[in-house]
Amino acid sequence: MNESVERQLYEIIAKQSGIDVATITPQSTLKDLGVDSLTAIETIFEIEEHFGVTLPDRDPNFDTDSVQGLLTALQQALDSAAAAPGAA
Amino acid sequence: MRRVVITGMGAINALGHNAADTWREMLAGRSAIGPIQAVPAEKLRAKVAAEVRDYDPAQHFDDKRLPILDRTSQFAVIAAREAVRQSGIDFDQGDLRERSAVIVGTGVGGETSHDEAFRRLYGDNNPRVHPFTIVRVMANAPACHLSIEFGLTGPAFGVVSACASSNHAFSQALQTIRAGGADVALAGGAEACITLGLTKAWEAMRVLADDTCRPFCLQRRGLVLGEGAAIFVLEEYERARRRGATILAELAGAGLSADASDLVLPSQAGAVAAMRRALKDAGLPLERIGYINAHGTATPANDPSETRAIRETFGALAPIIPISSTKAMHGHALGAAGALEMVAALGALREQAVPPTANFLDPDPQCDLDYVPNVAREAKVSAVLSNSFAFGGLNAVIAVKRAE
Repeated sequence: MNESVERQLYEIIAKQSGIDVATITPQSTLKDLGVDSLTAIETIFEIEEHFGVTLPDRDPNFDTDSVQGLLTALQQALDSAAAAPGAA
Repeated sequence: MRRVVITGMGAINALGHNAADTWREMLAGRSAIGPIQAVPAEKLRAKVAAEVRDYDPAQHFDDKRLPILDRTSQFAVIAAREAVRQSGIDFDQGDLRERSAVIVGTGVGGETSHDEAFRRLYGDNNPRVHPFTIVRVMANAPACHLSIEFGLTGPAFGVVSACASSNHAFSQALQTIRAGGADVALAGGAEACITLGLTKAWEAMRVLADDTCRPFCLQRRGLVLGEGAAIFVLEEYERARRRGATILAELAGAGLSADASDLVLPSQAGAVAAMRRALKDAGLPLERIGYINAHGTATPANDPSETRAIRETFGALAPIIPISSTKAMHGHALGAAGALEMVAALGALREQAVPPTANFLDPDPQCDLDYVPNVAREAKVSAVLSNSFAFGGLNAVIAVKRAE
């Protein structure tokens, strides 16, 4: 896993939810981090904006999905964007 | 039958940021219509509106909440806070949160958010729309935010019937409390409709005045858009009395009807039916009505039609009832209009004075009743009718009277 991507992701989550980035672990769910349903939607939007990708639709409540799941989905989206024809 | 009284009111609109200022300006006959600022005026033929000025949302909402609040909902919450504060009601008492309803009218919902989101999409070619767009634009959002703000878990919903939305909301709240579905209701209307897209659309309907709003007068040239909100605390009478609340007025009755004809040409018969039903529902004889707050949009079609409808309803009494359209001052706030006009109705009842029809020049022979031109008038007012007639031919008339 690209450490820079992970760090940027954590920073976006921390900024959106107003929490200390140090409290985020791959096992945390957004719910654990106290992120409410609307903030979760906004966080996904910010991640997509930041990385220029589109993440798959998912349950916006994030009750069960972890930050690791988000990171994996993000990495997949970045990989497929990089593999797309015409990608730099 | 359970009676319903009004124990709190709050408002924000072009005339003022609270109900007391709004009423004072109305009584002074000051029109808040001015050069439009929210919209690039060079793109408009009609360059005036009644906008809420000197308004800073950050003074009312924190950073966390503001992104999910369209201007319409902001206005609704601000007005509701004032109404609840004034009523002195304590929602922590017993099961009152469960026994409290929220019913808020709006004509076009979160119009400013709609316009902004789609400007990005179509105008700026930005393919992404902010994910809070839906929660901001939905027409039920003002009702949602009031229920959340005060933790009210009784029946809650939005009411949408264009320019009659507020009065339909009052009617629904009245029936809900009468029927025992709630003991208290926050009811009223909210609108923030002054965007480029919607103003152009009204312009295309050819009903906007390019100078100012002059209801019932010969030189009237159409309506002028306004914005704002007014929210009221409605309460079951015995409950209000037991807790020693100050009762502003009794919400005595409502009369609803549909024209079932033209979408934009108001029918005399529909308006008459709504006024008669309101009087009957309130148990008020014709001679009790001491003031009519007219719909009075200042369009060529509305004012003569409403005049004829008042004549048909009140017969020989029609010429001696003071009538005014306060839209000349706060503009036509569409779904919030009836709620802003309730401020006028309650003011007239409490201060025995009729607010004027501002901007009045010469009388129109087609509008030949007593429209209280330009200057407020002292009057014995023990009951008021407040008229709202919506595009689509949806009519809602509310009757309020002094609490006895």
